[in-house]
Amino acid sequence: MSALEITNIRKSYGDVETLKGIDISLESGEFLVLLGSSGCGKSTLLNIIAGLAEATSGDIRIGDRSVLGVHPKDRDIAMVFQSYALYPNLTVHRNIGFGLEMRKVPAAERDKAVREAAKLLQIEPLLDRKPSQLSGGQRQRVAIGRALVRKPNVFLFDEPLSNLDAKLRMEMRTELKRLHQMLKTTVVYVTHDQIEAMTLATRIAVMRDGKIEQLGTPDEIYNRPQTLYVATFVGAPPMNLLDATVTGGALSIDGTPIVLPLPQTIKPLADSQKLVVGIRPEALHLDEQGALEVVCEVAELTGPELIVTGRSGAQQLMACLPPRSALAAGQSFRLGFAPEAMCLFDRATGMRCD
Amino acid sequence: MSGTFMTTRAWALMLPLLVVMIAVIGWPLVDTVGLSFTDAKLVGTAGQFVGFENYAKMLASANFQRSLIITAMFAVISVAAEMVLGVLAALLLNQDFKGRGVLRALMILPWALPTVVNATLWRLIYNPEYGALNAALTQLGLLDAYRSWLGEPGTALTALIVADCWKNFPLVALIALAALQAVPRDITAASLVDGAGPFTRFRFVILPYLAGPLMVALVLRTIEAFKVFDIIWVMTRGGPANSTRTLSILVYQEAFSFQRAGSGASLALIVTLFVTVLALAYGALVRKAAGSAA
Repeated sequence: MSALEITNIRKSYGDVETLKGIDISLESGEFLVLLGSSGCGKSTLLNIIAGLAEATSGDIRIGDRSVLGVHPKDRDIAMVFQSYALYPNLTVHRNIGFGLEMRKVPAAERDKAVREAAKLLQIEPLLDRKPSQLSGGQRQRVAIGRALVRKPNVFLFDEPLSNLDAKLRMEMRTELKRLHQMLKTTVVYVTHDQIEAMTLATRIAVMRDGKIEQLGTPDEIYNRPQTLYVATFVGAPPMNLLDATVTGGALSIDGTPIVLPLPQTIKPLADSQKLVVGIRPEALHLDEQGALEVVCEVAELTGPELIVTGRSGAQQLMACLPPRSALAAGQSFRLGFAPEAMCLFDRATGMRCD
Repeated sequence: MSGTFMTTRAWALMLPLLVVMIAVIGWPLVDTVGLSFTDAKLVGTAGQFVGFENYAKMLASANFQRSLIITAMFAVISVAAEMVLGVLAALLLNQDFKGRGVLRALMILPWALPTVVNATLWRLIYNPEYGALNAALTQLGLLDAYRSWLGEPGTALTALIVADCWKNFPLVALIALAALQAVPRDITAASLVDGAGPFTRFRFVILPYLAGPLMVALVLRTIEAFKVFDIIWVMTRGGPANSTRTLSILVYQEAFSFQRAGSGASLALIVTLFVTVLALAYGALVRKAAGSAA
């Protein structure tokens, strides 16, 4: 039985359709990340799952029942918000136990649950404080605690780490992952941060303009992007995209003398078909026999790697190379890559074609 | 820029206002204090120094004590009703519905009207011969015969309180509405998910954001209600049988109707003292509320 079933969800505000038919089926214990830039509809979808917004059409099933028209409190969900959304005049203890209090759980049982959650989140010493006396990270732990004690069927997270500074965000990310591994809960998590998506998710739904661009495991999203949008949205520095044309059964990179063999696995392509070749910067390596001849324009040492931006004829590309690669601006070098690292997209449709 | 220069410039800029304030508030206040220790009449003699006699006489007088009780009743009941009505109106006008903008603008109207206009309007409503209230109540079968709402000691104060509420609840509503806009959407959503009903939500989600601004409204309105003069003067002149004679009306009567400037001054200073104490007490409350809401 799936924990969450989203069927053909549409949402319109007046003439503007923000969700254009979303279908997702989530097994119990899955961690789904809705990833997309702002305005793609990911938060709207989360609010519809929570019952804070109504879908225009479609169905949402949590557990084995449709929750359309069901009040948020009766949907067996808990939600963590970007702004923490703690009750300002209640102590941490009461904030965490508030949902249980509203459900008339006896005080002793409530106290036990609150203390368990607090212990798990290492906020036991803070239980008597007010939210205003807590740091951002501590507040977010309280907000997570408030969701945990409810033991809901599905956890919903709305960009929970966006308000934290970079270091804290990384710590909390690890913490969330650890919690999920330990508790095996079903999670829907909204973010625009691709690192959060890659590290936390068991599956990622990349959203764009109210539609799911690709739904897959982090590995599939990263290594086998189905569209040009997904290819460029996930990964930093972004995937290199080289315009190419099918010429005599091979790939000729436009504006360069480079000709690459077409992969064996690809379906037959018409001659002179316009394609885009995608290669991740980290898939490129220095190789004297390599297919790509590049002139280095900028070399940036980040510490663990050297990011080289260069030009090959009319095409620009980036490569992540070992930090000790001795390269300077103006220098010419050759880059190679494994054939399976190459992604081919139809330039007209933006869809993957291998 | 040196601190001294800034300080000098600040004083220089404030000087014109200070001069005006001293002229129109400071000097009359000092003069009133002087006057309150004499038996001066409004016209004629400057009066003899009589020490605290005026104060002792006023504080002991039955008129003063009765007026104090009437003023307190007027202030407490009207302000309490205004707070409740104002918050309810704000909650309503914070909902999303068609025509909300028009209704919000209309709500300001009673408060924007001059008090004299408002008072005259309510006198017409309460009119014993052709008033709308009498007509409505008799036609609904709730009243047998027309009554003189402002002419009976039993109903006059209540009638005044209703008129004052109608005029002043929009101010409270306006302040509350502004505060409601500041309630974060996420907390409201969280309370929905947590299963809080409307009352719990008001208590734990909305009230914390409302408390500070409402305290300001409470201070403003209580002080004004305690000093109330114009609406009463236009509607009842303190009658019937002095049943609506608040302290400000009493001060006016003492100083101008009975032309006893000395004792009138002492009475005015007693009222000023009451208001100052109220203002200080509320000031402390506001600071406390602001501290706990942060």
